[in-house]
Amino acid sequence: MLPPSASDAEILAIGRELSDAIPSPARRPRAALDDKAMDLASQDAQLKAALFRFVDVVPACRSVDDLAAHLSGFLSEVDAKPVALEQALRLGGSRAGRAALGTAAAAGVKHMAHRFIVGESPQAAAGVLADLWKHGVTSSVDLLGEATVTSAEADAYARRCSEALTTLSRAAANWPAQPAIERDSAGELPRANLSVKVSALTPLLRADAPELGSRDAAPRLRALLRRAADAGAHLHVDMESYDSREATTDLVLGLLAEPEFADGPSAGVVLQAYLRDSPELADRLVRWVRDTPRSTPLTVRLVKGAYWDHEVVDARQHGWTPPVFEVKADSDANFEHLTRVLLGARTTGAGVRVAVASHNLRSVAHAVACNRASGHPDEDLELQVLRGLGDGLQTALASSGLRVRTYCPVGDLVAGMAYLVRRLLENTSNDSFLHEQGAGVPLERLLAAPGGAT
Amino acid sequence: MSLPAFVNEPVLELRRAAHRNALLSALKDLDASGPVRVPVWIGSDRRDADDPISTDPGNPDRVVAIGATATAADVPRAVEAGERGFTEWSRLPATGRAQALVAAASWLRERRHQAAALAVREAAKPWAEADADVCEALDFLEYYARGAVALEGGESLLVVPGERNEMRYRPRGIVGVIAPWNFPLAIPLGMVAAGLATGNAVVLKPAEQAPGCAAFLVEALRAGGVPAGAIALLPGEGDVGAALVRHPGVHTIAFTGSGPVGLEIVRAAAETPPGARHLKRVVAEMGGKNCVIVDADADLDDAVPGVVRSAFAYAGQKCSAASRVLVHESIADTFTQRLAGAVATLQVGQAERFGVDVPPVIEADAQARVRRYADAARRAGTLVAVREEGVEDVGWFCAPTVVAGLPGDAPVLFEEVFGPLLTVEAVRDVDAACDRIDELPFALTGGLYARNPHTVEHVVRRSPVGNLYVNRSITGAMVGRQPFGGNRLSGTGTKAGGPDYLLHFVEPHVVTENTVRHGLII
Repeated sequence: MLPPSASDAEILAIGRELSDAIPSPARRPRAALDDKAMDLASQDAQLKAALFRFVDVVPACRSVDDLAAHLSGFLSEVDAKPVALEQALRLGGSRAGRAALGTAAAAGVKHMAHRFIVGESPQAAAGVLADLWKHGVTSSVDLLGEATVTSAEADAYARRCSEALTTLSRAAANWPAQPAIERDSAGELPRANLSVKVSALTPLLRADAPELGSRDAAPRLRALLRRAADAGAHLHVDMESYDSREATTDLVLGLLAEPEFADGPSAGVVLQAYLRDSPELADRLVRWVRDTPRSTPLTVRLVKGAYWDHEVVDARQHGWTPPVFEVKADSDANFEHLTRVLLGARTTGAGVRVAVASHNLRSVAHAVACNRASGHPDEDLELQVLRGLGDGLQTALASSGLRVRTYCPVGDLVAGMAYLVRRLLENTSNDSFLHEQGAGVPLERLLAAPGGAT
Repeated sequence: MSLPAFVNEPVLELRRAAHRNALLSALKDLDASGPVRVPVWIGSDRRDADDPISTDPGNPDRVVAIGATATAADVPRAVEAGERGFTEWSRLPATGRAQALVAAASWLRERRHQAAALAVREAAKPWAEADADVCEALDFLEYYARGAVALEGGESLLVVPGERNEMRYRPRGIVGVIAPWNFPLAIPLGMVAAGLATGNAVVLKPAEQAPGCAAFLVEALRAGGVPAGAIALLPGEGDVGAALVRHPGVHTIAFTGSGPVGLEIVRAAAETPPGARHLKRVVAEMGGKNCVIVDADADLDDAVPGVVRSAFAYAGQKCSAASRVLVHESIADTFTQRLAGAVATLQVGQAERFGVDVPPVIEADAQARVRRYADAARRAGTLVAVREEGVEDVGWFCAPTVVAGLPGDAPVLFEEVFGPLLTVEAVRDVDAACDRIDELPFALTGGLYARNPHTVEHVVRRSPVGNLYVNRSITGAMVGRQPFGGNRLSGTGTKAGGPDYLLHFVEPHVVTENTVRHGLII
């Protein structure tokens, strides 16, 4: 059953409060500068492509000379170059110039990467995570790495995840008590929280043979679930492209239904609102929770979805109807519908825990308002943001007494590049909330119901 | 009749269970209905027999097709029938012929699951590949139908007052099609459709390994309205093909297959036997020794799976498949190690099982040939990976194998193996890789993984191949998107599924009419 919906007035009020609580750019000059750079890049499609291609190739470059050669190669394909880039290109003409250009470019990329990646290892990230915790912010760690194409790579990723669970839970044991963020009505919330990707746990994900990938990943994920249970940590399984959705869903729900996991660990899945058929998956999840005897709630993270471009291009190349909504407002409206479906699926004791992961102020305010309207305290709703992109919102949520979890990529900057590029693409797309917010679209319009104000 | 613009036939969205189940049920129906019947089919004369003529490569005891076998003696009859059919068929305007081809496409589209199942059984094509084969077959029908309509409009020429100049294209006569088994639907139908769309009559000699698929195609064409006389089916052995090539009544030979056979066809077609009144034209698509260059800045997350797919999908039995990787020495160790690991995850098994990458090869001879090359390569070089798991005793399985460290003159580096065998060579730089590619007599497909735009441009300029793929796998050419065909000894440089392919099936005629009478322009 859907919980009562919230009025637009309430949503607007919450949205205003949150917006006011977002630190102004003046208070974070460095981030503001980065935002400007991304803004510049997003204005010109060719330039954006050139810069992303450069960021993408940095890990494979062997020297500063090589870096400069790539950068000037990509930039030479941009028709209308800003003055600064013309100058950069001229530098590429001499060896000394290339050294300067390559060094500067590498430093620039590294600087950007630091904004998104909290540490090169869980150990190294522990300081940042503890600091977040002190500020009333929980985290979920995501281990970055190259794609898994061999069984050895799947094993290595599983091993890193297992070690991360140990490291994170040990580190978290020393954190001070924060009652507001480590309990909800359903009980205690694990402090250590790790997000894992099935595509990294098996090299055998095949769209036309989902059971192949889920069968191969199962032993590795089972071992991680055991480790998480032992360590008292939460294990969240991310959702990726549509090609792997069936394998991922079957795998996670199958394993969590095994008797040995009836009492834990705390675990979760992801629902992608941009998928047209996400309401069916939501129903399946709700039914599964109802019919599966588990004493631990299933956390469902509701996201818009990060593979929109991939899904649309892939579908177009094959002549298929894209599995995603092609109009953003449809996606946003579905996001709100699913928010209510999930909030309505919470029962006392074992049930669903809802985590709404969005940088869209309207979606967040809507979730908060609906949660309140359903009579639940604020701590029964988790809000999630991405490190580096949702930092302002994270501060606003925490200072408003809402429970926020920040998704924190961990790994070396080199391996993190692909991840970085994808996040940047998402953030600089012209209809992204962050982009509109930065471009000065009025708050009333940003907070209007999806499709309601154009 | 005006046709909507061409679009590629969408492959089945096999990530959805409903589509997978539909294919599995079509296979069940095919198995339940017993072997398909293949006639020698000349005009309305249909000769049937009960001899087993094709078997399942994954289970050689299972007969897939039964039927009659044509002999060289059937060739003159087929050509004569074709001459009569030609008169009727070539008289139709291109739109009329296009209508028949499009109707044949509709017939085939309605039976796409059945067609894919047949390719799974007869050629051991894994489902996704079998379905793609059906789609490509449909694409050829639709694309050439439209191309022929456009071609009928002719070319515009310079015009001066008092003179009318026209250039038109006319069919040549009889096209003999000699087809391979590896794309048992798309390739025969592509060559046949090109001949028919342009108004020729066609005699099809399918591969002896896949006559069932060919009979299905001829059924589709006739159901679509192609007159019986315009398309004949001669299932048989090499002697039938040889007789077809030599017959003085055949105008054009369209061939896809091995290099030696192709060269023999070119030689035989060059002769003008007594009574011949035309030069035979040959459209040939032959072998390759396709190389992929992996530069130091390649994204190995893409390159490793891309190379594995290019080399081992359908057990490497595609003309476009990769057989050599030339990798920059600075990343050769990492690349080779990840490649070995990826090859160890290949799914070897029966084509009918979803997820299988490497099915059995087509026949016993192929198995013996691949194993012979693999053994020789392993003796001469260093074994990088061999995937034995899934290799069954029944069925013509070959274990996917990767070998490195071969001497520069090893035969396996120069000869086409047509099976799941890949060699790896470390090179100093991209130019060294290009030099080695230049030594080859073949130039069909090639691949490049590199991210520096200058490198890409440089290799594009140097590469001799007909189809170069940058930062992607090197198989899976699509009609209208990647017109396909090789240069050098890989073929006649013709591009199937491309805008100029039909020109090989027609003769240009130029008419100049004087329109001045007594000083007046009329």
